[in-house]
Amino acid sequence: MAADSKDTEYINRLLNGDKNALYLLYDKYSGALYGVILRMCRDEDFAQDLLQESFIKIWQNIGNYDSEKGKFYTWAYRIAKNTTLNSLRRSSPLIQTDNLSVYENKNVQLEIKDYSDLNGILAQLEPQHQQAINLVYFKGLTHQEAHKAMNVPLGSFKSYVRQALLKLREKRAELSMLVLLINVCGHG
Amino acid sequence: MDKKKILEDGLLEQYLLGELSHEQEILIQKELNQDDDLRNIFEEIEQEFERIAFENAIPPPENAKKALKSSVESTKENIQIRDITPFKNRNIFKTDRFAVAASLAFLFALSSFWLYNRWQSSEENLNSLQQQTIALRERLMILEQNIEVTTQRYMTINNRNVIPLLLKGNQTLPESRAVAYVNHETKSVLVNSQGLPPLEEDKTYQMWADVDGVMINMGILPADADLIPVKYIDRAESFNITIEPAGGNDHPTVENLISNVLL
Repeated sequence: MAADSKDTEYINRLLNGDKNALYLLYDKYSGALYGVILRMCRDEDFAQDLLQESFIKIWQNIGNYDSEKGKFYTWAYRIAKNTTLNSLRRSSPLIQTDNLSVYENKNVQLEIKDYSDLNGILAQLEPQHQQAINLVYFKGLTHQEAHKAMNVPLGSFKSYVRQALLKLREKRAELSMLVLLINVCGHG
Repeated sequence: MDKKKILEDGLLEQYLLGELSHEQEILIQKELNQDDDLRNIFEEIEQEFERIAFENAIPPPENAKKALKSSVESTKENIQIRDITPFKNRNIFKTDRFAVAASLAFLFALSSFWLYNRWQSSEENLNSLQQQTIALRERLMILEQNIEVTTQRYMTINNRNVIPLLLKGNQTLPESRAVAYVNHETKSVLVNSQGLPPLEEDKTYQMWADVDGVMINMGILPADADLIPVKYIDRAESFNITIEPAGGNDHPTVENLISNVLL
């Protein structure tokens, strides 16, 4: 698997004990990971602790990262997700993955801060596609848990995820073409 | 695992999200290593999720990085003890000794394992050889018995007192042949009936001795036997072979006489 060249450099330095490489990786990825963690736990102080804990784990376990199995960010995302979900299960018996009712009621979004608002091209997708990605990626539910939360069959849910990713790619391609045209027209 | 199933079941997405069991992950990794097309699809999914994350990134507060640095600095010693540069540790001598001891222990374990394997292999060979020896011994016993029987028979029929008599078939069964070996000294008769044609299951050959016109039973003759002992009858004037019902008869069926020889 091709990893970003910068990531490879930081990872090699980290393997040699260079903690500054950790801070460089933090600068690059903390926003993306914090966005995931905060949407999962919905508490800023808690999320900051979890972010710190995640990067400590990245530092301590960098020897286990295998670039053949995927990108660095995918590995880091899993660490952040597991750290958050484990902490949530330990800290509050009410916030368990079994308690899915909070996701069934769409109005519950008004009770929490806007961390759950989605941005970018994802926000342009149809509601069921947004919701599917939101549940498995930003809420940390498994496919099994998420299809129950959306009250749709598992097969339908898997289709939502697949379609969402396809739509995102299509829209990005359209956007790229548009940007290219604008550049060409602008120079012309 | 079928590629179509992987794609339809959303296994690549679940693999990326860390939802699969360890065994399933290994299967998916194997498929990804073998199928470039699948690998490309996975990389696109990875790329897409990463873009989504960056588009929805939330910058953490500044103090979060300071807290991380502080945490990293405070766990400096712990990290060094287990990190990948043990040479920075002050207790180099003890670490080296431990490394040497660990290496020796590993070598010892390796050689023990190798010796154990050799021992097991030798045991198996030994068992196999023992089995072969037993089989050979049994075979030898059988051969020795056969030699003894053959030798005895040879001595029996090669004796100067033994008179061989050919019982040729008559017009009833002209192709039949039998040889009787008579020893008047030891009063024994052996018959080689291999030349007698096979009969139906309900019939058998029977041998008779003619004594003053009276046929006396000498015994049943199996059709293809090597040397069969039959009864020696004193003052027999001829030997006769008839075909009788299976199990034999009390008196010969004269119409079924197939062979006759005068002594």
